[in-house]
Amino acid sequence: MPDHINPCQTFPIDYTEVLERIGGDRVFLEELLKIYVEECDQKLRAIKEATARQDFSLIQQLGHSLKGSSANLSLTFLQKVSFSLEVAGKEKNIALARTALAALEKEFDNLKDYLRQNPPCPAIL
Amino acid sequence: MKILIAEDDLITSRILEKHLQSWGFEAVLARNGEQAWQALKDSRLRLAILDWMMPGMDGIEICKKIRRRKKYKYTYIILLSAKDRKQDIIAGLSSGADDYMAKPVNFLELRARLQTGKRIIDLEDKLLYVQNQLKDLASRDSLTKLWNRSEIAKFLREELDRAQREKKPLGVIMLDIDYFKKINDSFGHKIGDLALLQVVSRIKRKVRKSDKVGRYGGDEIIVVLPNCGLLEIRKIGERLRASIARRGVKTGQETFRVTISAGCASSENRSQASAEKLIKAADAALLRAKNQGRNCVVVDDDATENTREVKNA
Repeated sequence: MPDHINPCQTFPIDYTEVLERIGGDRVFLEELLKIYVEECDQKLRAIKEATARQDFSLIQQLGHSLKGSSANLSLTFLQKVSFSLEVAGKEKNIALARTALAALEKEFDNLKDYLRQNPPCPAIL
Repeated sequence: MKILIAEDDLITSRILEKHLQSWGFEAVLARNGEQAWQALKDSRLRLAILDWMMPGMDGIEICKKIRRRKKYKYTYIILLSAKDRKQDIIAGLSSGADDYMAKPVNFLELRARLQTGKRIIDLEDKLLYVQNQLKDLASRDSLTKLWNRSEIAKFLREELDRAQREKKPLGVIMLDIDYFKKINDSFGHKIGDLALLQVVSRIKRKVRKSDKVGRYGGDEIIVVLPNCGLLEIRKIGERLRASIARRGVKTGQETFRVTISAGCASSENRSQASAEKLIKAADAALLRAKNQGRNCVVVDDDATENTREVKNA
């Protein structure tokens, strides 16, 4: 596995950093993460199809777009694997695309688990 | 102030929107280049934040298209991009963007940069305001604030064209103050000016909304009346005359009687009316009103010779 898709951090989201960026508004962060999860879900399916068809330009485009959203929410791992997908698309490297796709699915599940256990906006009580 | 956010990424778009709203902007969202271009047809959108990379038309293309358009006021554009190499920044600015910001956006910086944009737009607004004022100043007579001779002549030509297209009559009334020279001689020019102003203000109140009043020269006043035939113009002319003669003019210490004479002409009874001919006919009718003893209205109601004259004094 190439170095840049090997996660080396402990948490999938850097809450401190993202909250600083959006002015500490946890309710807003919850809304953004909800949008992200829906978006990522759709894009993941599209990437799967694109990988099966070996549509490299679409892989590159979706990887790029997901990279941006992930960076915005300080989702460090997801940002990294999205970047790998973008690179795989650019280099027309199907092996890298498959590896990155598998990593993306895993990281996405990790994120969802993490968010369930550590919601951005914990309920009072 | 309205501001466009053209950004295909939902998260970025939502974060931008939230910030802009908290700074008092009204955000308009577009998710691709085509939507952005459509939104920019709203002339109230003077500030735009454009993402470089968008599906379809990209930010660069929109910049170029905005700069090519003519009738719009200035649109201040901030281009956003993940590309932050020197050559990208240069390419972005060269396409017509005013400013360039690398993603991820620092929002304090964005806010400061938007202030720059607002300053530019405010400057343009001030400039346009002054330009309008100057235009107005150049089209009006400085004493009476009526349209000046060239402006009212232009209006007359345009309205005559329209009247002929729409097959409607157009009227012209020329009027002046009786014995204006005597007023000036006996009370002084200052009082003469004040009397003229009072006459003008009464006339402006008595004409219809669609009519335009201009100062033709000296105390000669011209009224251009769209959609006005001979019957109507006689009534209006008489209404103007009566409004002046009804009560005296007060000019500080002095109150004295002022009357006007009026000559009216309409395109209704002319097959080939021109602006010049109408003015000439109204002028000739005014002259006849003077010869008939003043304080009266004469309508030039025949294109050839016979002019019916009405004396109201």
